[in-house]
Amino acid sequence: MRESARKPAPMARLRVAVYAIDVRRRSALSRVVAEAGHLVVGAQDAADVVLADGDCAPGETRRVVILGSAGDDRAGVLSRDAGADQIDAAIRAVSAGLIVRLPDAMDAGFGAMRETDGHTLLTPRELEVLATLAEGMTNKAIARRLNISLHTVKFHVESLFRKLGARTRTEAVAKASERRRHETITL
Amino acid sequence: MTDQADFLTEFSNALAGRAEAAKSAIVAIRLAHGRHLTGMVWRPEIVVVSEQSLPQNDDFELVATGGAVVAARMAGRDLATNIAILRLAEPIASPSIAAGEAHTGAVALAIGADGTGGASARLGLVNLAGAEWHSSRGGLIDRRIVLDLRLARHEEGGPVFDAAGACLGMSTFGPRGQVIAIPTATIARVVPLLLGNGRIARGWLGVALQAVAVPDALREAAGQSSGLMVMSVVAGGPAAQAGIVAGDIVLSVDGTSTHRFRKLARHFGSDSIGRNADLRLIRSGTVITVPTTIAERPAA
Repeated sequence: MRESARKPAPMARLRVAVYAIDVRRRSALSRVVAEAGHLVVGAQDAADVVLADGDCAPGETRRVVILGSAGDDRAGVLSRDAGADQIDAAIRAVSAGLIVRLPDAMDAGFGAMRETDGHTLLTPRELEVLATLAEGMTNKAIARRLNISLHTVKFHVESLFRKLGARTRTEAVAKASERRRHETITL
Repeated sequence: MTDQADFLTEFSNALAGRAEAAKSAIVAIRLAHGRHLTGMVWRPEIVVVSEQSLPQNDDFELVATGGAVVAARMAGRDLATNIAILRLAEPIASPSIAAGEAHTGAVALAIGADGTGGASARLGLVNLAGAEWHSSRGGLIDRRIVLDLRLARHEEGGPVFDAAGACLGMSTFGPRGQVIAIPTATIARVVPLLLGNGRIARGWLGVALQAVAVPDALREAAGQSSGLMVMSVVAGGPAAQAGIVAGDIVLSVDGTSTHRFRKLARHFGSDSIGRNADLRLIRSGTVITVPTTIAERPAA
């Protein structure tokens, strides 16, 4: 009990070198890094972690968190539109010697075109409701946004849960995004 | 006692012999940071590689059996079948490849390159030998071959042999780390096309689609219960030029219902380029037909 009562140690301040070809992108990323409490250092300075936008730091031998590139051999890989929370978490994890990957990467691989089970296909309206769930909206707010009754919203949400086999809103959003990853086809 | 021990020893020796002989069937493809990938020597000057794991470079350095370093050039890649080919600057010794037929439960020996001119081996079963299938990128794979063995990242792209020493295909990773083989028949079909053109031409509309249920009120007019909703349109692509927009629900392409993806994939072979295709779709509650012209899918 005494352990948990103790105040947590202040988060370490890391030295982060930011690489980006686009100047505005570099300043935006630098701001994210600085606001997370880290020190942005020059490209040639000693750094704990390098934050690179895309494949713009080839031959970099320090620990790299890369944004929006496959970067199989990098310690950290995030999507290009990663949020400040993810960037901060990845920088800290990579500096601690861990590897950071997106859940998508686990699904990568050469796979089959899936035939979808007709009974669990979502309707266009359900996809709209799903998008609002992903934004964290309440049923009331969804009803206002889509201009439908609260009762209809509840009906759609229940149908989504059933079709996706989800018990919570978060789970529904996660399962739907996994489905989309597998089932999107390009023509 | 001796009989059984002899059998096991023979089995083991036979496998070791196969692995030794397979050394000349593989090369290591050098990647950045001391990593490498395995390639399969298809002909004295042609190496087959797993497309999904090969960086987008033009020039590569290969390590052949015994450690000789050979330069190679990208000669073609097809992401739909996951096959890429490299042309060697100078031919190397290549074993003749006999195509083997995969059977569920049969022994499979996967060979990888160790990076210094030697081989590494993996033994398992053919977990599943099934019918032909279409990849999510639209390529036709002659058979489904799932292997019951583990593979290191650098071993991907090597040959998989059956007990008779015939080649079942090239090892690669499916979803969730599953190890599968691209059948020898598929490689034999795709390599000549890649050698001729550097890539395999495919029809293209420039849309990303997701299956949706057709709303109840529109089922009768649509004549089907599901369709493919347009999630995004590539700017300047054939669909965009035809006025297709996100949210449209495609019901059929030239009379082929979008209900069956596989049938639809056949509709976009190399012979489809330049052809007109009528898209029947639902837009704002009505069923309309939009004419499009299929173009060639741009290189990835």
